[in-house]
Amino acid sequence: MHPAKKRVSRKAITAWLFLAPSLLVLGGFTLYPMIQAAYLSLTDYNLIRAAKWVGLDNYAELFGDDAFWNAFGNTVLYAAVVTPATIVLALALALFLDRQFVGRAFVRTAIFLPFIVSLGIIAIAWAFLLDPNIGLVSYWLSQIGIVAEQGVLSDPRWAMPAVMFVGVWKNVGFYMVIYLAGLQSIPEELREAARLDGANAWQRFRNVTLPLLSNQTMLVSVMALIASLQAFDQIYVMTHGGPFFRTETLVMLIYREGFQELRFGYGAAISWVLLLFVLILSITQYGFFQRRQVKY
Amino acid sequence: MRSNHSTTSPGGPRRRWLPVGGVAFIAASALLLGGCAGGGAPSGGSGDSGGKVTLSFWNGFTGPDGPALQKVVDDFNASQDGVEVQTNIMPWDTLYQKVLTAAAGKDGPDIVAMSASRLPQYIDEGLYQPLDDYYTNADNDSEALASAAVNASIFDGKNYGVPVNLATMLMYYNKDLFTAAGLDPEKPPTSWDEFAAMVPKLTVDENGDGKPEQYAIALGDHETVPMYQPFLWNAGGGVVSEDGKTSELGSAGSLKALNFWVDLVKNKKASPVGLSGADADKLFTTGKAAIEIVGPWATTGFKDAGINFGLARQFAGPSAQTTLADVVSMSIPASADDSTKQAAYTFFKYWNSKDGQKTWAEGSGFPPTRSDIASDITTNPYPAVFGAPDIVDDSQVLLAGVAAGGTITTTIFEPTLQKALNGEGTVDELFPAASDQVQAELDK
Repeated sequence: MHPAKKRVSRKAITAWLFLAPSLLVLGGFTLYPMIQAAYLSLTDYNLIRAAKWVGLDNYAELFGDDAFWNAFGNTVLYAAVVTPATIVLALALALFLDRQFVGRAFVRTAIFLPFIVSLGIIAIAWAFLLDPNIGLVSYWLSQIGIVAEQGVLSDPRWAMPAVMFVGVWKNVGFYMVIYLAGLQSIPEELREAARLDGANAWQRFRNVTLPLLSNQTMLVSVMALIASLQAFDQIYVMTHGGPFFRTETLVMLIYREGFQELRFGYGAAISWVLLLFVLILSITQYGFFQRRQVKY
Repeated sequence: MRSNHSTTSPGGPRRRWLPVGGVAFIAASALLLGGCAGGGAPSGGSGDSGGKVTLSFWNGFTGPDGPALQKVVDDFNASQDGVEVQTNIMPWDTLYQKVLTAAAGKDGPDIVAMSASRLPQYIDEGLYQPLDDYYTNADNDSEALASAAVNASIFDGKNYGVPVNLATMLMYYNKDLFTAAGLDPEKPPTSWDEFAAMVPKLTVDENGDGKPEQYAIALGDHETVPMYQPFLWNAGGGVVSEDGKTSELGSAGSLKALNFWVDLVKNKKASPVGLSGADADKLFTTGKAAIEIVGPWATTGFKDAGINFGLARQFAGPSAQTTLADVVSMSIPASADDSTKQAAYTFFKYWNSKDGQKTWAEGSGFPPTRSDIASDITTNPYPAVFGAPDIVDDSQVLLAGVAAGGTITTTIFEPTLQKALNGEGTVDELFPAASDQVQAELDK
């Protein structure tokens, strides 16, 4: 054994010991199921009978499956709207709430609250608000000319916007808090210096604040994108993917194929396609922000 | 060779790699949702060889029928020493999700109740075992059971279930709304055309905004007891042929029925579009719909809401007056051993005995599964109404014995119907194409 390597391994052992609990959890609950899912995706499996090896048949079927492409399109649409909307809104709210004003703590809490409240409660609340007969939001919508006879959630034109809205609403508080933390770490001198140089509010934001938030922006956009590519919970509760699959996303389809059609192999194949899609997008995003990172 | 493990070089290549790995890991772990854990061999039931056999019985009778079910089970447990049945009552959708994972693990139930509309899929997946020897044993007195209830659990020529209930659908109508519309509250519509003539009176749009405040009928088009499919029967069509092998969705009778009803709902606003079963119940319970077609379980809720309702046989179509029946059957997992199975048979026999069915019908309002005790049920008027011989004899279970029945209903029929109701294509365009999809499912 190399002597230098031995010294390293003492430190390494300490490090591994500290990492062990997390690695065990990640290994047992993330890595193992992923590998298991990869294996299942090559089989025909219904939980009762032994898995039957089918090779790449599931993947081949997937590319000719209208339901898959419909869910893929919905997922991309959802992510393309919800991700930027969440980021912009989170930043705007953070900038607004970074100032001092009466009731600031209340507003911050109010915006953060949806993120931590149980989905069941959120779903019940929105079911009331969007109820076609007694819902307050339905009433407002009818005042601006949106008459959805049986509520926006059953209307093919409005179901997707409605779940998108709730998706943004539910998560924006969390990203706002990340931005707030970032804003508070920006030294006041930098903005002060810009002001002395004659920069107006927009120029100070564009050239000082925004670049110094690039770390937060990277984190927020990677997380928000992943979250929206996996949109499931509010859609499951609010529309079940309907009307006629208009709001069915890939994760909804995985759920349907697995737990309703009892085709766990096929569901696993879809989850691996989604995994690769998320991976590619995340690495691309990371590369994009890496080049734009500002250090000070 | 010196390794560089212990030091980090800010901005160096190693640091650059790590966060990418981190991102990948976040992405991967966030996707855990999609990972379907599995494994484990099918397991046996919990037959207890020494002395008493304890059976766990999963069912979804969460409504007012739950206490009635529990009463029969308690009576059974008190009636003998050999078998103890323990009920586990949960919502139906939870049950359907849990039953496979529980069977794949080692803690599955010994008896599972399931609707005939879902049963074939699970039989086809190998969850249950045939119970034909229950019916061939004369001691079990199954001759007295209604044939619709017994036949509902037949799959590929074998019977996999014993009935818990037989529920026929009747027309509930709000007498007060009929009176307010100037209609005779004792004369509900008896045919489609009579109903169509009443729609302009029963659908009321007071403020003229195009969204009626009151509807003639509350017809669910998803997550509901099948409402539209029986209409197809009554115009000479259907979803599939009687032998379950051929799609009938594109037949002349089916298209005739669908055109009639889609026109009534979409253009004449007889019912809102996009109702789930629960929405439909809510609409009728709040007096915003004059008619709802639903099973006996709804009675208690409507009475509690103070609705002055009448009950009638569903209006006839141009060629028949077949009523939808739903049957819930009890089945035994394929892995159960013989002592578990015999113990379950003891319970099934009690459940479908005269005593058991009298208690069940009086407590739940469901008609009894036996046709020979109608006159014994005296404390509750509804079992007799729902179990009237002309209704039961003319009732049919939707897609009984069709393994793809659930898929056909939720991924083909309902979405296609919703498209038609939302004006995204006509019945004549959409349903022949959907019929090809149904045929493809049947041929799988």
